Parts: sequence; structure tokens; C-alpha cells
Amino acid sequence: MSKYLAMAGISIKNSLVYRANVTGRIIFYFVFIFVFFSLWSMVYSGNEIAGYSLRQMIWYVCMTELVVFCSGSGIFGIMNHEVKSGEIAYQLVRPWNYVYKQFASMLGNITFSALVFTLMAIILGMVFAGPLKGFNAAAIPFIVVSFLLSIAMNFFFLMSLGLLAFYFEENGPFYFIYQKLLFVFGMLLPIEFLPLWAHGILRYLPFSLITWGPAKMVVDFSYGYAMEIIPLQIIKCIGAIALAQFVFSRGVRKVNVHGG
Amino acid sequence: MAAIILDNLSKTYKVKVKGEGFSNTLRSLVKPEYKSVEAVKKVSFAVDEGEMLAFIGPNGAGKSTTIKMLTGILHPTSGEAEVLGLNPVKERKILSYKIGAVFGQKSQLSFHLPPLDSFRLLSSVYEIEKDLYEKRLKRLTDLLELGEFLDSPVRKLSLGQRVRCEFAASLLHAPKILFLDEPTIGLDVVVKHKIRDLIKRLNKEEGVTVFLTSHDAGDVENLCRRAIVIDHGCVAVDMSVKKMKYDYLNKKVVSLKFSEQASLQDMKGVNILKSTPYAVKFSVDTRTVPIGKVLAGLDSDNLADITIEEPPMEEIIAAIYTNGREVG
Repeated sequence: MSKYLAMAGISIKNSLVYRANVTGRIIFYFVFIFVFFSLWSMVYSGNEIAGYSLRQMIWYVCMTELVVFCSGSGIFGIMNHEVKSGEIAYQLVRPWNYVYKQFASMLGNITFSALVFTLMAIILGMVFAGPLKGFNAAAIPFIVVSFLLSIAMNFFFLMSLGLLAFYFEENGPFYFIYQKLLFVFGMLLPIEFLPLWAHGILRYLPFSLITWGPAKMVVDFSYGYAMEIIPLQIIKCIGAIALAQFVFSRGVRKVNVHGG
Repeated sequence: MAAIILDNLSKTYKVKVKGEGFSNTLRSLVKPEYKSVEAVKKVSFAVDEGEMLAFIGPNGAGKSTTIKMLTGILHPTSGEAEVLGLNPVKERKILSYKIGAVFGQKSQLSFHLPPLDSFRLLSSVYEIEKDLYEKRLKRLTDLLELGEFLDSPVRKLSLGQRVRCEFAASLLHAPKILFLDEPTIGLDVVVKHKIRDLIKRLNKEEGVTVFLTSHDAGDVENLCRRAIVIDHGCVAVDMSVKKMKYDYLNKKVVSLKFSEQASLQDMKGVNILKSTPYAVKFSVDTRTVPIGKVLAGLDSDNLADITIEEPPMEEIIAAIYTNGREVG
């Protein structure tokens, strides 16, 4: 365990070198929130849509974007590059689990930016929407756990997609589809906006558990909801880890194709 | 006792074949075709504990592929490898605690951070106790003269400084075997000497087995007693470096200085390289004429100085690469 903590530690130091990168992404985050704010302000004419007020909707978008911006550490690109260039081979001479090593590295990389983005999300939520009515501070630990599970789940799914480079020369389309599913099923729209039958299915799919799950917990928290979503996230997260391990352990036998 | 054993080790790659033109591109989308490339073909040899072996060959001969199979990075297609009694693929993690690797063309240090940060990370990765790590780091810092730049970001280091740090990073956990894949590539003479001295000391003082691939004949000549030449995936030559130098080219280079003006008589097997009234440099093909016979024919009273050199190692290696398959 200590080796992974050390890995996360060195990644934190490394991430501080790329402060300009974080600044650029903050500007991008602001633009995103502003666009969604404008969009939903136009859409909302009445009080609520599918149980969401405009204020909740703005906070919802701030939160879903927060998950995506925090976990979008470029793991797909990193995996894609490491497999295709054969650089992954050089990582294998060390006594560590490659999948966990990458996860530890990602946690270190996002620590600084996650703190900045969380602060940004709260500021933008307050500026564009105002304080959330009935928000209970007791919900914060559940929200934090749910966010961490979302980030982890998204990371391991993206890593699995990146590792598909072992099998496919061009794995970009998988990433494209995944991003779009994430965008449509939870990031852009809360799943309650979709027909009831679709809502029932999507509730259990990883895409919505990554974005809708934690965001809903912020805008409309209930213990019953937390007790339903967090166990589902844990199960999906374990599944995502198993998937990444499986794709890696099978794929690593093919490292020769690119390793030389 | 053997530290490394290869038994009919082979590696075959599958490479996608794409023809030229749009129609072939479309065809490869529908029905991709592959060809097999045999990078390593039934290679068998053993390396003793404490031995320093040069594993040399031209580009694409299969050197790096073999190293990667021995370090557990690549899965062999067939055959067996055993490193320190372990199967590199099945027991890669256990093995990685016991081996070190330096890949001259690939850095293992964090580019933006000082080497010290990477060393601390590696001490955690290899689970080295703090006291032991401090001692080891001090020894390596002294041996490699790293003190000046341990706190500077790696990106600011010269190639020589970086490679010295790469060595320190690979040696922190006191590996029993050191795999070196072109470790001195691009280095200046001074740094090369430092690196070679370090390798010799580690071999002598700690009994580290060294498995070296290099295109630098100096590395081979200075470090290794035995050399294996691999070509097209097969072992072409496996002999002592000394024997290789003696046997392979069958050539000596003789430089003579005369007290008075003189010239060398023509002789079969003797090729004059340079000649002045008071000196001559010539090569002797010892397969055609024994060196003793050539020297016996000289006027010893007129000889001011004589130097007999073996051909440079580079020349021997180049000759083996050219005719490798004919030698056995």
C-alpha cells in the first residue's frame, strides 16, 4: 500500500508543475457552466421540470461537470499511448500492480485540481444559482464518498477503454461512444428527464451512476437515496476495477506487438 | 551456478500487413492479413552468477526482445527462461525485486522532479527500509558523483547526469542481476568510463551478474569476458571476448620504427597500411602467414620500436555482423 501512496505523493508534486494546465481547464469549466446556465435559463419557463427547479438544475450541472473535470485525467490517452508506443513494457519491470499504480498516479494528479474545481463549482453554483434550499451539511460525507466512487469508476472504465489498444489498432471510437453516453445519460440531463422506462434502466447503468448519482445527491439529498446509490456505485466500481485488471492481464500478453 | 537459463526461447510477433493504395486499405479493413516475424528463434544459453555477458547484435537482431523476455515484460512464444530460479513471466513481481534494468533510450525518472524524488518513490516501490535506503543512496551518490544535481529537476540535467541517475535508480534495491540495454548510448568518454567503473565495482564487490547489450565495442571489451552475438534471432557466436579477438579476424596490426631508412619486403598475407622512410604500419593475416614468420624476416638491428596491436573490437563486431551466420 505504501508504494501506491508514494506514487500518489510524487504525482501530486508532478501535478503542481502543470499549474497552467489547471488554469486553462478552469476557464473551460467556467465556459461550460455559463453555457449550461444560459441554456437552462431559456428552457425553464415554469417552476420545475421533472422535479428539478432551475436552481437545482444549475447546481446539478456544476456537479456533473465537476466529476468529469476531476476524473478526466487523460487516462484514456495515456493508456493508448503507452500501449501503442510499447512504453507500457518499461513499467512492468517494477514490483507493482500496473492498474493500481496508474490509479494512485491519477489520484495524486487530481488532488490539487479537484480542490480547485470543487471551490470553483461552489462559487459558480452560488453566483449563477444561489444557495441550494434545504441543503444539509450532514449529507457532505455521503456526497464526498459518492464523488470519489464516481471518479474511480470513470477512471477504471476509461483505463479499460484505453487498454483496448492492445486488441484494436484504433480504439478511439470506443472512447467517443463512452463520452457521449456519459454526456447524454446523466451529465447534460438528469435521467428523470427521460421516459420512465428508460429512467428505470439507466439508474443502474454505470454512465448515470458516474454523473447523475453524486449530482442528484447534492441537489436532492435523502438518506434513502444515498443508501441506494452508494452500494450500487461500489458494485460498479468493483466491476470497473475487475474489467481494467482483466483487459490489462489479457492484453499484456500482446505487448510484443508494440514493444519490440 | 547459472543465474540465467534460456532453453529454446522463441518469440514470434504477428504484424499486420497492409498493401498500398485505397483498395488494399479497404481490403485490410474487411479481411486483415498478418505475417509472423520470428524475432528470437530457439535461443539457448546460460549465464553464470557473477558473470558479465555481452549480448550483442545488429539492430533488429532480437537483443531487446530477449532482455524483455528475461525481465518478464514479454511472454515467450515457446521455450523456457529461468532467471534466478524464477519464471520471468509467471513470477514477474517476485523477480522484479531481484533484478535491475537500465534502458539507455528510456528514462525511468520523473521528468519534472529532482532525481531524489524518484529515488524516494523507488525505495517505497521496492519496500527498502529507510536506513538501508539512506546507506545505499549514499554509496551510489559517492560512486556516481550525483551529489551536485540530486536536487535539480531531471529535465535540467545533461544526458550524462541523467544516465548516472538512471543507474542509481536501478541499483537502489541492490539487484542480483543488472540488465543493461544500451546503457552508454550517446554518452561522452568520461561518463562512459564512470559507468563502466561502476559496473565493474558492483560486479566485483557485490557479485552482480551483468547482462549487457550495447553497440559500443568499448563496453564489450572493457566489461565482459564472454560475448554472445545474436543475429536474425539466432545465436551466431558464443565465445570469450579474448578468443573472439584472437580467432575471429585472424589479423594483427604491426607498427615498426627504423633506426635507418628501410622498407618492408612484400610478403603474402601482409598488407601495408602506411609507409614512411623510417616507419611502416602493416596488417598481417595470420591465416596466411604466422606473425612469427613476418617478424623473423625483419632486420632486428635496424628496429627502433615495434608495436603489435589486435584489431579494434569494433572491427571484429562489424565483421561478425556481416558474416555472423558463417561463424559458429
